[in-house]
Amino acid sequence: MQEHSLAPAIDIAALNKWYGTFHVLKNVDLVVGTGSRIVICGPSGSGKSSLIRCVNGLEKYESGTIRLADTPLEMDAAKSSAARRQTGMVFQSFNLFPHLTVLANCTLSLRRVQKKSRGAASEIAMHFLEKVKIPEQANKYPAELSGGQQQRVAIARALCLNPRIMLFDEPTSALDPEMVKEVLDVMTSLARDGMTMVCVTHEMHFAREVADRIVFMDQGSIVEQSDPASFFAAPTHARTRAFLSNLLH
Amino acid sequence: MGFEIGFAIATIPTILSVVGTTLIITALSCAGAAGLGFAFEMIRRSGWTADYVMRFVIDFIRATPVLGWLYFMYFVLPFYGVRLPTTAVGILGLSVYYSGYLAEVFRAGIDAVAKGQQEAARALGLGRVDAVVFVIAPQMLRNIAAPMGNYFVSILKATPYLAAIAVPEMLGSAFDIASDTYRYAEPLTVAGVMFLLLALAVTGGVKQLERKLLKADRR
Amino acid sequence: MMSIFQIWLGILQGLHVTALVTLYGLLFAVPFALLFGIAQHLTTGLARFAVTAVIEFWRSSSVIILLFVFYYALPVFGIELSAMTVGAMVIGLNIGGYASQSVRAGLQALDKGQSEAGSALGLTRAQVLFMIELPQALTAMAPTFINQLIQLVKGTAIVSLVTLTDMTFRAKELAQIEYDPVAIYTSLLLAYFVV
Repeated sequence: MQEHSLAPAIDIAALNKWYGTFHVLKNVDLVVGTGSRIVICGPSGSGKSSLIRCVNGLEKYESGTIRLADTPLEMDAAKSSAARRQTGMVFQSFNLFPHLTVLANCTLSLRRVQKKSRGAASEIAMHFLEKVKIPEQANKYPAELSGGQQQRVAIARALCLNPRIMLFDEPTSALDPEMVKEVLDVMTSLARDGMTMVCVTHEMHFAREVADRIVFMDQGSIVEQSDPASFFAAPTHARTRAFLSNLLH
Repeated sequence: MGFEIGFAIATIPTILSVVGTTLIITALSCAGAAGLGFAFEMIRRSGWTADYVMRFVIDFIRATPVLGWLYFMYFVLPFYGVRLPTTAVGILGLSVYYSGYLAEVFRAGIDAVAKGQQEAARALGLGRVDAVVFVIAPQMLRNIAAPMGNYFVSILKATPYLAAIAVPEMLGSAFDIASDTYRYAEPLTVAGVMFLLLALAVTGGVKQLERKLLKADRR
Repeated sequence: MMSIFQIWLGILQGLHVTALVTLYGLLFAVPFALLFGIAQHLTTGLARFAVTAVIEFWRSSSVIILLFVFYYALPVFGIELSAMTVGAMVIGLNIGGYASQSVRAGLQALDKGQSEAGSALGLTRAQVLFMIELPQALTAMAPTFINQLIQLVKGTAIVSLVTLTDMTFRAKELAQIEYDPVAIYTSLLLAYFVV
C-alpha cells in the first residue's frame, strides 16, 4: 500500500472555469479524503465532467486551487505531471488505442513513461487484467471486445500506473444495459480494496451501495452533498429532489 | 519527314537507361515531401501564431506552380551562394512543392483520429512526442495511406518537369537525343509511352499496397 | 536594376496568356469531364473498359511529356496545332480526366432510390440523368471543381516551355535580362498566389 499522507487525497478550493463567456464551474470547493468514494451526479451541463477533467489536468481552470495530496496541480496541467500521475482516468468512450492489443494498451505508458522492461510491464498489466477478470483477452484488439470488456480494459490500463486516485467520467453511459453490471462490479471491488474514487455517474444503485458521499451539482455549483442514506431519504434542496424524482421516475 | 519506327525503337535503350534515375528522384522527393509536410503540420499544431503562419505557408505553396518552384530554386539558390547539383535542386523543388499537399494530408489524417485518443494518452501521462509516435501516428498512417499514395504517384508524374532545369531524367534524355539528331517526334513519343507504362505500373503497385494495408487493418 | 513594380508589370504582361490558356483549357476540360464521367457511370463491359482506358490515358500520363509529344509529334503526322491549342488541350484533358472521376463518383454516391423514384414516375433514363441525378451530383461536386480549376491555372505554367509568353515565361525572360532572380522569381510565385 502507498504511504498515507495526512492531507486529503484531493483538495479543491474556490475553483472557477470558463469556456469563453460560459461559466462552467463556479467557486467549487470539494475535499476528498484518502480512501473515500465520492459519486458526483447532476443534470447534463452541470459541470460534473469538467470538474473531474480539471482534477486529471485534461482541462485548464482560470482560478482557485487543486491540491492532490500535498502537491498543487498547476492551472496549466502540462507543467505538473508529478501531481497528475497520482490520478487514473476512465472515460465514457473508453478511448482504448484501436491499433494496439489489450496488453499493449496497458503496457504503453509503463514502458514509455516509467521506462519498465517489456517483461516487467507485461507482468503488471496481466496482474490488473486479472483483477478486471479479462486476462484471456490480452492479445486481442479492442474492436474484438464487447463494450463492457473494453471499459474493463480501460480500467486496468489506468490501474497499471498505480494511481492513488481513480477518476471515472460516466464509465457506463456508453454501454448497453446488460454490460453495465460487469463494469460496476469491477468498480465495486476496487472500492473494497480501499481505492480513493471519484465517479461521475447516474447509476444510483451503485451510488447507494458503494459511495460514502454523494455530491449533487447543478449549473456549475455543488448544490448539496451528504452520505447516501440521507441523500436519498431526505434531500434538502428542491433541485436535488427534482433531479432524483426524474431519475427514479 | 515521317515517323520512323526503326529510329523510335533505337531510342528505347537510351531512354530506358534513365528509368532508374527517374525512380530514385521520385523516391527521394517522396521522402523529402513527406518529411517536410509532416514537420510543417507539427509546427502548425504547436501554437496559435504557428498555426496562422504555417497555414499561410502551406496555402502559398499549394497555390503556386511546381515549375515556378523549380525555377525559383534553380536560379535563386546560387544567388545566395548555395550551389547544388541540378538533380538535388530538382528533388528539393519537388519536395517543397508537394510538402504543402502532404501537410494537408497529415492534417486530415490527424484530425480523423478521435479526440479521445489524445486525451487518453495525456491521462496516461505520455509526453507529446510519445503520444504522437505511439498513439496518433500509427492510427493516422492508416487514414492517410490512400491520399499519400496518390501524391506519390503525382510526384512521379512531376519528375519530367525537372527536364526544364536540365536534370537527366526520362524527358531530359529524350530531348538530348532530339537535339543530337534533330528528330523530336520519335524520342518524345517513346518517352511518353514508356512514362505512361511506368506510371501505370507504379499506380498499380501503390493500389496493391493500399489493399494490403487495409486488409491488415481488418484483423 | 528594375524596381519591384517594373518586375510585376513585366510578369503580369504574361497574365493574359495564362488567362487564355486557362479559358481554352476549361473548354476542353468541362465537356470531357461531363461526357466521360457520365459515360463511365452508364456503360458496362467492353464499352466501359474503352471509356476507362481513355480517361486513364489522360490521368496517368505526365502532362509535361504529353505537351511535348503533341507539340512535336503531331506535325509529323500532318496535324499542325498552335502552341496555345496544344497547351490548352493537354492541360484541359488532363484536368478533365481527374474531374470526370468526381462526376462519376458524384453520380454513384447518389442514393439508388433517387433514380428508382425517377423511373417509377415514368421518366426515361435520359430524363432521370438530366433532371434528377446530374443536378444533385454537380452541386455536391462544386468544391472539388474549384480545386481542379486552381490546378488548371497552375498547370498553365508549363506552356512557357513551348514558347508561349505566359507569366512563367515572362519571369524567365526578365531574369535573363536583369539578373535579379531573387526578386523576379519571388514575384512570380506571389503572382500565382494572388491569381
